[in-house]
Amino acid sequence: MKRREFIKKTAIGGAALSVPFILPSGRLFASSGSRMANHVVFVAFAGGVRQQESVLQQYLDGSQDYPSAGNIMYNLLDGTAPTDKLVYGTNNENNENIPIPKLLSQTLQQQGTLFKEVNASTVGHYAGVNTLLTGNYMYSQGLRAKPLMPTIFEYLRRHTGEKATKCWFVGNGIGNSIPLLDYSEHDNYGSQYGANFLAPTITFGDDGEKHLKNAKIYHPDDELDPMYKMKYFLDNVWYSQGNALPTIGNTVEEKAEIKQFVKDMFVKKENGTIAFPPSASNNDGQTIGYACEVMKRFKPTLTVVYLSNVDGCHANFTSYLQSLHSADHAVGHLWDYIQNNIPEMSGNTSIVVAPEHGRNLESNNIKDANAFYGYDHSDSNARRIFNLMAGPGIDSNLTIGSETNGVGDIVNITPTIAEILGFKQEVINSGFVYNNNSFFDLI
Amino acid sequence: MRILIDKMKKLLYLLSLILIISSCRKEDVYELNEVHASSYNANKNKLKSSNQFISILYANLFQEALSANELFEISRCIQSIGDKEVAHEIVFSNFMNKNGVIIPSDSMMRYDLDAFIEEAYKRFFVRDITEAEREFFISFFESHPYVSAEMVYMAFAMSNEYQYY
Repeated sequence: MKRREFIKKTAIGGAALSVPFILPSGRLFASSGSRMANHVVFVAFAGGVRQQESVLQQYLDGSQDYPSAGNIMYNLLDGTAPTDKLVYGTNNENNENIPIPKLLSQTLQQQGTLFKEVNASTVGHYAGVNTLLTGNYMYSQGLRAKPLMPTIFEYLRRHTGEKATKCWFVGNGIGNSIPLLDYSEHDNYGSQYGANFLAPTITFGDDGEKHLKNAKIYHPDDELDPMYKMKYFLDNVWYSQGNALPTIGNTVEEKAEIKQFVKDMFVKKENGTIAFPPSASNNDGQTIGYACEVMKRFKPTLTVVYLSNVDGCHANFTSYLQSLHSADHAVGHLWDYIQNNIPEMSGNTSIVVAPEHGRNLESNNIKDANAFYGYDHSDSNARRIFNLMAGPGIDSNLTIGSETNGVGDIVNITPTIAEILGFKQEVINSGFVYNNNSFFDLI
Repeated sequence: MRILIDKMKKLLYLLSLILIISSCRKEDVYELNEVHASSYNANKNKLKSSNQFISILYANLFQEALSANELFEISRCIQSIGDKEVAHEIVFSNFMNKNGVIIPSDSMMRYDLDAFIEEAYKRFFVRDITEAEREFFISFFESHPYVSAEMVYMAFAMSNEYQYY
């Protein structure tokens, strides 16, 4: 072959290899990695969790100068429960405090890998959850504004072509700007790759009962079809003159599925058959119950569940302990429900659990009814969190790091989820994460 | 000879006078009538806030104001569902199930399609319908005899133009 001909053919071949192809989902290139699991559930164990009451298992000893230590998160962590001055359970009719019975026969720590001492450089709720979901510290990020960097939902949908209903963000409310975290305002990503957000305690709470429950379900062919045709005509006319509205790209079928889900949840609620944890007295427990229903219905590739009841710690340490204990119970139920009630996800799902930040070493001056002091989140102790993960391909019964030897950072979580779902390289290539390492890289 | 010249002069004056008078005949004047019409998109470029949107829709459908409490509750419901199109559709269809919603009957709509669609554009978009839009809707209504006034109102309420002012 002549040199000129060789160069020409090489150039054509190279160009053919490098030209992106459009997949049916509209994305460029297939994701490059293989999946460790087909589903990931990420529990943002948020609201600010002190290391002292969680992984360090100091109970009242590490906070109220009362000599009672022990583990009140016995579904997530190994360790025996406290035996003295129990205030973290639920009160029975005799007003005795009864801890919630353990749900999982094996703790998540035994089933997976615990990073015991992880750094989290932001100590605000919104900034913290934002970092959990974007893998980036956005120090210039304002409150009440969408994330500046792409979220894990957008990475997933853009680089793997997942449908909108395969990506859910279930929050325990609409405070703290949480609904804004379903997608970023980044130019390369944005709403069309966003997650379906749901705050079930509102949707199916009193407000929803009043304003959503009696919604008509229009006939898909006889009513919805002509209605949408008229709407599309109106929208097309508008687009030629006005602005487009952000949409997360649910198809007509997906929208119908969501509407039916909402309708069905009201029926299940009335019948008392929502998959709530056995003890679901607060918002976190209720949220986990509805998250189970979302997973049962949609089998999402990625589900993020946001909890935050522990934030009561500012003014009520007793309620903080109760919320921590309930959240552990709720997460145990979530894992148990996936394994035993969703066959499509059982054995094929990984779970990641991490707080968005910790809480202070020193208490504030607010005392609760038990004369326990509250804790805010502003000092260096508030930068200490843990990360727990379990599922296919994740080492079991492994603990990395210690109180004096921190390993890992909150920004490692986004690459970790991406690695489990096989698109870590695409996330790294985007150049928008703070650190390219996943937790697997740190083992 | 002089007499002849005088007569010729008089005749010339008379002729000039006749010509001047006849040349001042009033001619037809063509003018345009002033028509008050809204511009094509009525200069809408601001997105309604969630509260504005719900209040305006409620007023459109019920011809009365929404209470502050209900506005707060509905706004929370909409915030609790990420896909706003889905959230709006559920809230609107819930409105449609309430007593007191003011919508023309289907027979009224079918009796004068032209007037119905013109009124719908004014009611929801606060502008006049264009001929292209009129053409689409009239032909759509004729080819879809079971389309109801409620369905048309739902389509307008869910449209993107309705989100702007």
